[in-house]
Amino acid sequence: MAFKRPRANSPTSSQKRTRGNGQTGYVLLGTELPPDKDSDDGTFVPEWKQTVTDERGRRRLHGAFTGGFSAGYFNTVGSKEGWAPKAFVSSRSNRKTTDTAQRAEDFMDAEDLAEAAESRELETAQSFATIGRVGEQETDGFFGLFMTEEETMGVKIAHKMGWRRNQGVGRKIRRGVRLDDDEDSMSSAHMFAPSDSRVLSAAPQDINRKGLGFQSEARLGANEEKETKDRPMLALPFLDAPKKQPTKKIASKKSSFGVGVLNDTGSDDEDPYELGPKITFNKTLGKDKKAKKPSKFAKPGAGDKHVFVKKAAGKAAPRSTFDGKPPLRGFVLTIQSVDLTTKRKYPPPKIPPGWKSTKSNVPVSTGDDYTSVTDAAKASTLDAKGRASLLGETPLPGKSVFDFLSKEARDRLANLTGKKDLPQGLGQTAPEGYSSSEKKQPKDLWSFVPVLDKATAAAALSNGTTGWMPYSEDLKKRARYVAFLELRSGKKHELPERPTDMSISEWAKELEGFVQAAIAFRPATGLMASRFTSSTSSSHPGSGDVEKASETLLRKPEPKPEDPAEQAAKMGMYGAMTRQSFPFYPSRLLCKRFNVPPPPEVPHGSDYTSSEYGFKGKTEEPINRDAMNKIIHEAATRGNPMMQRPAWMNETEPPSGEVPPTKVPAAQVPRERVEQHAKVDVEKNEALSQERAAEDVFKSIFGDDDDDDDDDE
Amino acid sequence: MPSFPTTPIALLTGHTGPVHALAYSSGAASYILTGSADRSIRLYNPSKAPLAAAQNTTDLGLVNKYSAHGYEVLSLCVNDNNDLFISTGGDKTVFLWDVVTAQTVRRFSGHSGRVNRGVFGGESDSVVVSASFDGSVRIWDCRSNSHKPIMVLDEAKDSVTDVVALDGEIVSGSVDGRVRTYDLRRGICEVDVMGHPVTSLEVSKKGTEILVSCLDSTVRLMDRANGQLLKAYRDEAFVNTELRVRSTLGMNDSVVVSGSDDGMVFAWDLLGGECLHRFKHSERRAVNSKSSNTPRVKKDIVSAVAFCKSRREWTSAGGDGNVVVWGMPR
Repeated sequence: MAFKRPRANSPTSSQKRTRGNGQTGYVLLGTELPPDKDSDDGTFVPEWKQTVTDERGRRRLHGAFTGGFSAGYFNTVGSKEGWAPKAFVSSRSNRKTTDTAQRAEDFMDAEDLAEAAESRELETAQSFATIGRVGEQETDGFFGLFMTEEETMGVKIAHKMGWRRNQGVGRKIRRGVRLDDDEDSMSSAHMFAPSDSRVLSAAPQDINRKGLGFQSEARLGANEEKETKDRPMLALPFLDAPKKQPTKKIASKKSSFGVGVLNDTGSDDEDPYELGPKITFNKTLGKDKKAKKPSKFAKPGAGDKHVFVKKAAGKAAPRSTFDGKPPLRGFVLTIQSVDLTTKRKYPPPKIPPGWKSTKSNVPVSTGDDYTSVTDAAKASTLDAKGRASLLGETPLPGKSVFDFLSKEARDRLANLTGKKDLPQGLGQTAPEGYSSSEKKQPKDLWSFVPVLDKATAAAALSNGTTGWMPYSEDLKKRARYVAFLELRSGKKHELPERPTDMSISEWAKELEGFVQAAIAFRPATGLMASRFTSSTSSSHPGSGDVEKASETLLRKPEPKPEDPAEQAAKMGMYGAMTRQSFPFYPSRLLCKRFNVPPPPEVPHGSDYTSSEYGFKGKTEEPINRDAMNKIIHEAATRGNPMMQRPAWMNETEPPSGEVPPTKVPAAQVPRERVEQHAKVDVEKNEALSQERAAEDVFKSIFGDDDDDDDDDE
Repeated sequence: MPSFPTTPIALLTGHTGPVHALAYSSGAASYILTGSADRSIRLYNPSKAPLAAAQNTTDLGLVNKYSAHGYEVLSLCVNDNNDLFISTGGDKTVFLWDVVTAQTVRRFSGHSGRVNRGVFGGESDSVVVSASFDGSVRIWDCRSNSHKPIMVLDEAKDSVTDVVALDGEIVSGSVDGRVRTYDLRRGICEVDVMGHPVTSLEVSKKGTEILVSCLDSTVRLMDRANGQLLKAYRDEAFVNTELRVRSTLGMNDSVVVSGSDDGMVFAWDLLGGECLHRFKHSERRAVNSKSSNTPRVKKDIVSAVAFCKSRREWTSAGGDGNVVVWGMPR
């Protein structure tokens, strides 16, 4: 609040300051203080010199034209735009919630805030008023710090039961009034509460909060002594007795560098940092210092002279118990103090003479006398029976293998193994009920017969009856093959016969070969089977040429079935057979760069990552129906099938990839010819009715891939 | 049928190693870029290097030299504006060159094998498509500064030897004997099995046929629509079984020209399929005999042929480091 003291327009006479040192009646001493500009001492100041201040003494009117009130940035609030109170915005949809309630601070400017902050002062809560209380050194600093003054529950209950502070607990006793320790005034006896007994503090003595194995400095012993002396809560005075004895201070070996506060004995004469003998240096100027007086303090470890102050060994006077009562009847106070601190030490047990520790370094055993278990077992001459008798075992009721072995067999075994100590072969016959090993053999041989799918076996068998069958060069083998297939298709149940000159391993291998052959020469099923009819005329197994081809097929089985598209390409049958397609996903940026619309299935915004679009491609069906028809048709209309046979099937022709160049015009598939074929009547399939291409062509292309086609169906 | 240019009209010399790459400049096609195993690329003006004069002096008609490759140069491609070209080679990197300054503008690295072919693609040559020995085709963006390819087509099981970028399609040929056509519009890749390692691809002007060179000494013209064989071009003397030689279509897609393993150049009639001419590159003459009886020299190979799009002129380059321009007699 700006105020302006009303002043007279013209100076009154009293306000008129006398100019110069005209006063003769005064003697002026010293220098006159410079006139205080700011002080308003009531002297006349013309209006134009007066300043307007606010209540805090700050100038309120500025500038050339000082008639206005310049509130704003320069003397009121801290922003150029002026002070703006916090806005209160609340609408129907967006209610101002009450949790952001307006506080008084919202309407205060910096000045007010500073004032409010000044008026605030830090105080402790009432219950923690004990912090920093003086005169309680006994309680350990940190443990007392957080204890509140509140009374414990026990105290509260005792209060309710009539107990008062500083009273003892128990029946009231009648005694005289004690007034200021004046025991004599036994004027009248009243009932008084028993006097308070001191709390028996059972705090163990050795509590110190030092680390394990820490040996405190020897000099601290003096301090400890004082501590125990001052301990008021110590309720067992006899425990103090050993402490009272002056302990001999041992100079600490592990002394720290320098000197600590606790090590300072308070005498300035002693320089802990000085080196060497003390006499050598003279530390005073002028005159020689007098010889040192012995310090009144014992300075343990510092000097070579120890001054011991003899103390009374113990009080001779009979002491009372800690609560002032005489001891109970029948008990006597101990004079001897119990030394609880020093533990009794037991001497270590004596080691019996001749004892050796196992932990001590074992002398390395020499290789000669060391024998391993296996060596020892080898060295022993005992056989199993001998060991059993040695151990006292009853002999097993069964018989040994050697009981059944003939003598020759046993000798052969002994020769082979080099062991002469084998039991004698007794050559006994097998007991009753056990058939001979000859009859048992077939059952074991069943394990050699490989597993074959029943359907496959049946299919291969049926193929053999209608079409041709492998092993045409070896009829016996073929018979075995048929027998095997019959077994696996469930028609027979006997073991496949084994030639006498064939070992079991060879026989098992042959059976494995049968399985492969059955899988390989299973007829086409499904779609492919419906496309082909089995041959009746040309490819009879007896005819020489085809048998040769089949033999080559048999003898050199392809390690990996070749891609039919690859084979078709090598045969020059380009077109639908050699074409596959799979979806791929061009990145959108690529389509953008090529200015083409991206295919619809490309996920929007996705970019190319190889993991995402790696090999997602699905191969379409390699041969569709009309393509197949076209192939068959072409093959049928080209004339002699032997002419068309690819070169690799005919060893006489040079092994070039396609039809030799001389036959180019005939063998090529020009477009005009394809168009010619379009006129052929589709209803009547000449390919099936008239002439067929060589079966081997188709077999070589499609023969091994029946499985895939079946899967596709 | 117009006559085939059979007269050597210019000789471009200067390379010290076999020339593996040839490219006519776009537009008027008055310049020829050559890339060689001697790690350099040269720009020639063939009209300044007539055969008679060039036989005596080297570097005749040389316009510029481009050297940044550390390995052999295997392919070249000039863009439509004639201001940039691509070169690829054994350094697993695609180099994008500025023609005038002879500095590389961009280098696309990411292939893990030598880059067999690099072509411009996309609208206004905005991408570079490269085919590499590592079995992948990578498409690089010329417009952004990204060092990563836009896309990697790694379906090939073997080295990809050639790639063609068409309008909305990318065709790649691989040693695994397949020609893969990636149709960007349909999102379908069509695989045509050729049965033999593919070494060169060239698409006709119509875009419906593709000329495929295979390592069975056959050049085939395939119908791109259904993968059928339209024509196979062979000759008794034509040997191409182990080396990557280029084949090309020329004279408005009426002839097929291919180099060979033994230094011969063959020209076939596209429709008829009969061999029109045989040329001996090193002797710079046409050979009439059906079989070349000269002993085969190891370095004698014609690995690159290029047909001029605007004139009746074509170029062959081979193991001797010389480039022969064949044209009509003046």
